[in-house]
Formats: sequence, C-alpha cells, structure tokens
Amino acid sequence: MRALLKPLLSLLLVLLAQTASAELVVVSGAKSGIDHLSRQDVVFLFMGRLRQLPTGVPAVPVDLAVDSPERADFYRQLVSKEPAEIKAYWSRLVFSGGSRPPQIAESREDLIRLLSSNPGAIGYMDRNKVDQRVRIIFDFATHP
Amino acid sequence: MTFHWHRAQRCGFRALAVACLLFSHAAMADSDAAMAPKRFELSGFGTLGVARTDTNDTQFIRDQTQQGGIDKSFSSKLDSLIGLQAYFRASDSLELVTQAISRYGPQGDYRPEISWAFAKYNFNPNLSVRAGRMGTEFYLLADSRHVGYSYLTVRPSVDFFGLLAFHYVDGLDLTGIVPLGEGLLKGKVFAGYSHELAPIGSEFLNMHGNPMAGGYVDYQQGHWQWRATMAQMTFKHELPAPVSTLRDGLYLTGVPSAVAAADAIGIKDKTSRFYSVGGVYDRGPLQVQAMLSELRHESATYQNSKAGYLLAGYRMGQVTPFVGYSWTKSKEKTLSTGLPPNPLNDYLAASLARVHTDQHTYTLGARWDFHRDMALKAQVDMIRGTPQSIFLYPSNTPNFDGKLNVFSLALDFVF
Repeated sequence: MRALLKPLLSLLLVLLAQTASAELVVVSGAKSGIDHLSRQDVVFLFMGRLRQLPTGVPAVPVDLAVDSPERADFYRQLVSKEPAEIKAYWSRLVFSGGSRPPQIAESREDLIRLLSSNPGAIGYMDRNKVDQRVRIIFDFATHP
Repeated sequence: MTFHWHRAQRCGFRALAVACLLFSHAAMADSDAAMAPKRFELSGFGTLGVARTDTNDTQFIRDQTQQGGIDKSFSSKLDSLIGLQAYFRASDSLELVTQAISRYGPQGDYRPEISWAFAKYNFNPNLSVRAGRMGTEFYLLADSRHVGYSYLTVRPSVDFFGLLAFHYVDGLDLTGIVPLGEGLLKGKVFAGYSHELAPIGSEFLNMHGNPMAGGYVDYQQGHWQWRATMAQMTFKHELPAPVSTLRDGLYLTGVPSAVAAADAIGIKDKTSRFYSVGGVYDRGPLQVQAMLSELRHESATYQNSKAGYLLAGYRMGQVTPFVGYSWTKSKEKTLSTGLPPNPLNDYLAASLARVHTDQHTYTLGARWDFHRDMALKAQVDMIRGTPQSIFLYPSNTPNFDGKLNVFSLALDFVF
C-alpha cells in the first residue's frame, strides 16, 4: 500500500504544480523601481486609462501575442472579459482617436528584453517563469 | 430588397486610396526594428447590415444626417458602412491619425469623407492636445457611433443619439487626467467649427463654419464610469425651404408680430445647447449603460427636448443578449404670427409641429461573437410614439400613428 502511495503523491504534486503554473503575475524589469501596483492600477494601465506609473515614468504596458493562452487568461483574471470583449473595448478607443492598445511581445523572451530595457514597461507571465531579470509587482494569488 | 453595398464598397476603396495617399511617405519612413512599438498602422472597421420596419407610413433613419429612411423593404443603407484608419507615431509625444468613412449620409449616397484627421501631442502622460478634425463627443460614446463592433446593439439608441446631426468638429481639444481617490478624474474641453450638411427634405441645412464648443468631466472607479457633458453649437446659416419660404412670407406682411415670429424661427446666430449625464457599469459579463440628456434651442424653430436610455447586456459564452429602453420627448413652443386668418398661420403651425417628438422604444436583441474580430447581431426595436411624434423621420404619411417596429441584422467587423 505504501509503495502505491508514493507514486500517487508525486503524481498529485505534479498536477498541483501544473495548476500553479497557470498562475499569472504582473512583472516589470528588475530595476524598474516599482514596488507594487494595486489591482485598480493594473486595470487602468492595461486598459489604457492611465499612462503613468506611480514612479512617475510613462507606462508601457506590454501584451503577449494574440494567440497566447496567457493573454486570454490575464484579461479573464483582471476584468473577467473574453478576448472579443477586450478587442471591442480597444476598437472604440482606437477608432475614436483615444489610447492605443498595449504593444505586443511575440514571446516571453521578447517581453523580458522589453522589461529590462524600459523602466516603464510592465507585462505578465506565469509565476514559475519568473527569473532574476524581472520583478513581481502584482500577484493575482494574493490580490484575487 | 434594395442593396447598395456594391456602391458602398466602391466608395470604401476610394476612401482607402485617400488614406494611403495621405500617409504613404509616413509608411516609407517606417523601417524600425521589430521591438519598438509599431510606428505606422492601417486598420479599419465596418458593418454590413440589413433592416426593415413594418410600415410604409414613415421612414426610419439612424440619425438626422441620413437623407432618406427605410420602410417595409429590407435595406442595407441604414447601418452599412466602412471606415479606415491610418495611424502614425511620429515621436513618443506626437501621433497623427486620419480616418475616412463611407456610409449612407446627407446626400443620399455613400460618398466617403474624412471623419477624423488630427495631430495629438502629449505634453506628459496625463495631458494631451489634439488639433484637426475630431469626432464630436456631445454625449458619452457619441464619438464612436459608427464603430458597431465596439458596442452591443446594432446601432446607438435612435431616441437618444438620433438628433445629433454632427459627427465631427474642426478645431482643438485638451484632455487631462488626475488620479482622485481610488479612481481617475478626466476632463476634456473642445472648440472648433462644423463642416457638415444636414438633409432637410431635398434641401440641406448648411452647418459650415458653425462654432461648436463643449467639455465633460468624467470619473472612473472600479466597475463604474460617470460623465457629465455640456456642448453647444451656434448656427451661422438659416434653414432652407420650407422654413425659409415661411419666413420670407412673414417678413413680407410687414406686420410687427409676424416679423417677430419670422425672427423667432430664424436660427442664424442662435445657439443650441446639449446637456447630458451618463453612467456605465461594467463588471465581467454584465454591462449596463444609462444616459439622460436635455437639449435647449434658442430658436423657436426647434423644440426643447429630453431623452434617455437604459441598456443592459449579459454575456453567456459567445452570445450576449441585451435589452434596452429609451425615450425622447419635446415640448411645444407657442408662437403666433398675430395675423388674422391667413395661410401663413397654418404654415407656421405645421412648421412647429414638424419638430415634435414624444416616443419610447423597447429594444431586444443579441450579439454573437462567433469569430475573431467579427460579431453578428440581431435586434428588434419597438417604437411607441404619439402620432405627432415625427421629428426623427424625414417624411411620413397622414396615416402614421407613431408606432413602428424595426427588425435589424448586422455583421460588424474590425481589421
């Protein structure tokens, strides 16, 4: 029985780890100087309503590619909106001369390069992909 | 069935050519590295719509810039349109935008026009100025009326937006944002001149050079957005026939009271003012909008009116059903020629009656986001008015009883 329990437990751990990998965090470059953003800040910045970070630097929100599952997940967690609704939202602003949608990083490496080179850049990624080049500035897990 | 789409398409291509021409050298300058934000972007929006009503006793229009309306035959002219935008980021603080649209408009065709063409300068992330041609924002959401993909319904509420006969202003606007409490306080002021025509029967009201000005205060916090707007326009041209003919007749009598009446129904150098408050509640799948407006006209030729609407939608998977209620009601102005029985008295009474509205509308429909960047919509509007409620229709028969049902289908897209 004990022999069976061990592989079962490790399977469970793997499954848990996979669930955890869907956890998204909002990140900036490691040297951005941003300490923490509120949920409302993240909404305002990614929805184009506010274009300045608390540090005073112009904000450069960065989206992942249109097809990336993280992107759809991010907006579901942030504002409970589907990709079509986000597109409709931006269509109104773009075609009435308002804010432009976030620029797009085609890959996570692109995103990290952008974050490292621009202290105003903010993006999102899986928590378990975070490394020393980026800093977590908002966490859905602790601010659901 | 009357389809004008081939014509719309032809004009759309012409609009594209105009936009491309304007920005061709900008496009050539765009040879930047892939990492930088895109400097040049070409995008567009459009609607393919068909609609019909259940009566031939009146003509239903989307707003007062459409020359003719629709009746019992299916028509694509009410809602079908195409728009193209060229965007150029000249520097971090300077952006250039040109937008052309082809829609069924004042001259009864789809001739394309430049509806936006402005330069936007950002002094800092919270303060920007735009100069050039911009969409009018007399009410919340009024500057995106043509972008069907951006809203739930087939068209903006006709009771509420139908009286707005101006779509753009040539001038300046200044927008500022200040964080306040948990939310954002935003303010905008604009001033400029109109450059449009409004159809009056087979004639036109010329609005070229009419000064316009206005502004709003907006607060967004959590799921809420609130806005109060005030805007005004001063007319610089008189109305065409039949009002001009009536005024000539009144002046010719030489009777002071008739001359005074002719002065009162003149519009030149008189101002119309638009006040509105609106609120939007947007929480995940639930969207609710409510707006109220009041229009005040110095000229006796137009009746002061109030309007409002309430719209709610709830997304379930790809489909978002919605319900709406709207109304508009105007108040008669009393005006007399002081003449003994005379045909001019009847003409004046008829002219004053022509601008009356008193109706409400129930709207039921659904939006289906069936494909990326495309939405299909179906909608029924049940308009219930008094027989005297005719201002929103370009023409009607004496049999018109104020009741009207409108059935609409639309395919909205962005690209």
